[in-house]
Amino acid sequence: MSASSLDSDTVSLKRKAKGKRPFYFSDSDVDKLLTMVMALAGELSVTRDRLDTVERIAASKNLFSEEDIETFELDSDALEARAARHQILFREITRVISSEIEELDRESSSNYDQVIEMVESEGGRN
Amino acid sequence: MSGSYVEQNHHDALPKTSHDECARQHFVRSFKEHLVTSIHPGLKTAYEKRAKISFQKQHGRDPSDIKDVASVMKHDPHYQAWSSLLRTSQEMMWSAAQIPVERSLRELAASAAKSEGGQGTLRLNGDLKIPDYHTAVDIHCQPGGYHTEYIADDVAQGAIYDRAVYLYAMGQMGPDNADMGDSTVSWLQSQQPDFKPQRILDMGCSVGHSTLPYVTGFPEAEVHGIDVGAPMLRYAHARAKSKDLEVHFSQQNAEKTDFEDESFDLVVSHILLHETSAAAIKNVIKECHRLLKPGGWMVHVETPPYEGMSPFDTFLFDWDSENNNEPFWRRSHELDLQALAEQGGFTEHPTIQVMAPSAFQETQRSMTFQGGDFGGGGVWFLYGCQK
Repeated sequence: MSASSLDSDTVSLKRKAKGKRPFYFSDSDVDKLLTMVMALAGELSVTRDRLDTVERIAASKNLFSEEDIETFELDSDALEARAARHQILFREITRVISSEIEELDRESSSNYDQVIEMVESEGGRN
Repeated sequence: MSGSYVEQNHHDALPKTSHDECARQHFVRSFKEHLVTSIHPGLKTAYEKRAKISFQKQHGRDPSDIKDVASVMKHDPHYQAWSSLLRTSQEMMWSAAQIPVERSLRELAASAAKSEGGQGTLRLNGDLKIPDYHTAVDIHCQPGGYHTEYIADDVAQGAIYDRAVYLYAMGQMGPDNADMGDSTVSWLQSQQPDFKPQRILDMGCSVGHSTLPYVTGFPEAEVHGIDVGAPMLRYAHARAKSKDLEVHFSQQNAEKTDFEDESFDLVVSHILLHETSAAAIKNVIKECHRLLKPGGWMVHVETPPYEGMSPFDTFLFDWDSENNNEPFWRRSHELDLQALAEQGGFTEHPTIQVMAPSAFQETQRSMTFQGGDFGGGGVWFLYGCQK
């Protein structure tokens, strides 16, 4: 990580090109979402490339080969641990969807504007 | 494995990347390749099977110009997706090239300042006014354009640009991004075998990737490169030195240089003209005429004019005008180039306007120009004239 971590020597560069950024879909949020999806795809690809490097180095040093990976059999404990990790991953990714239902399920839920009004009101309850 | 993947050649000035930084850059290259080979072809289908039919229904005729095509294509979901992804790929390209530079800029600047090798020189002019057509928007969306400086002896914009050109062309300009220069040298040598330039000027040379082919192609010549961007020139100077090649770089505007009348045999530029303005392009041609000795040549490498292209092809090729911060792209592709040369004083000979084959032939060539596939066509448009 040292190569990409920020330190005091880092010079902040302009990251936005001067000039109006065009959007293409009728809702520009779709463009923004697509841009974020491609950034995630990029980071996924970077991770996969790193794994590929690890595998190639391992093979070149006779540590293990690609075939060892392909034929490796996970035991029940390992499968269970992996499945649990998948669930955490899905929970994080779909959090915005689940939280909407969680909110609906809540017995009583004040309107947020009413909450603001409540805390801003000096004559109100404390 | 064929081993045909073209990676950029290393040189001392090029920013070093970590494993992941490099992987991120290669992802952008692959992303662009995917857009060219898998998404771009669908635009023709979307146009023929959907957008064009919609236009015909509305107007009772075929689309006849770029505005007609735009009126329906801008609402086509495939065009919207392609545009959105292409714009994103451009932004990701700059970002991926910036990350290692942001981390190592001080080191890069210090190293460039003490670079050794070759007999080249660097002459900067801090008082030079950066033209409005450079500062109005950041050309082709490079944040900070060609000119922004962050620290003393800055090379950031050049260091970013060198890597981005490789990614933008997807390696199709060769491992040194030299194809525009190489192809022009090859064309000159095959078409004008007796032409032996002694003094050569490359206008708008940026990092000198197109300049160096003239040093190797005409070893007896003294080669100069000018640009308005100081960080480009500092980097270009270090880059040339690392390759032990002699170029004399100076910070000047191609519209008006400080070189003497009739002091060059060959004046060239590479995708410079479309990054100027209607007024500036005339000045540049005039300046070429002033600088050339009688019998000398000016040659500008560009993408081809719109004339003769179908409305649909023109619409796609015009994408950069409004979507990639290339405000002069459209007008520059519609100019009467013969008249432009004559206005600039080139009345001695007719202009040449030719498609010259690429000198770098390792990759598949479409022999056409299409948006998002820079350098992939296998041909360059040369515009020039002999004085």
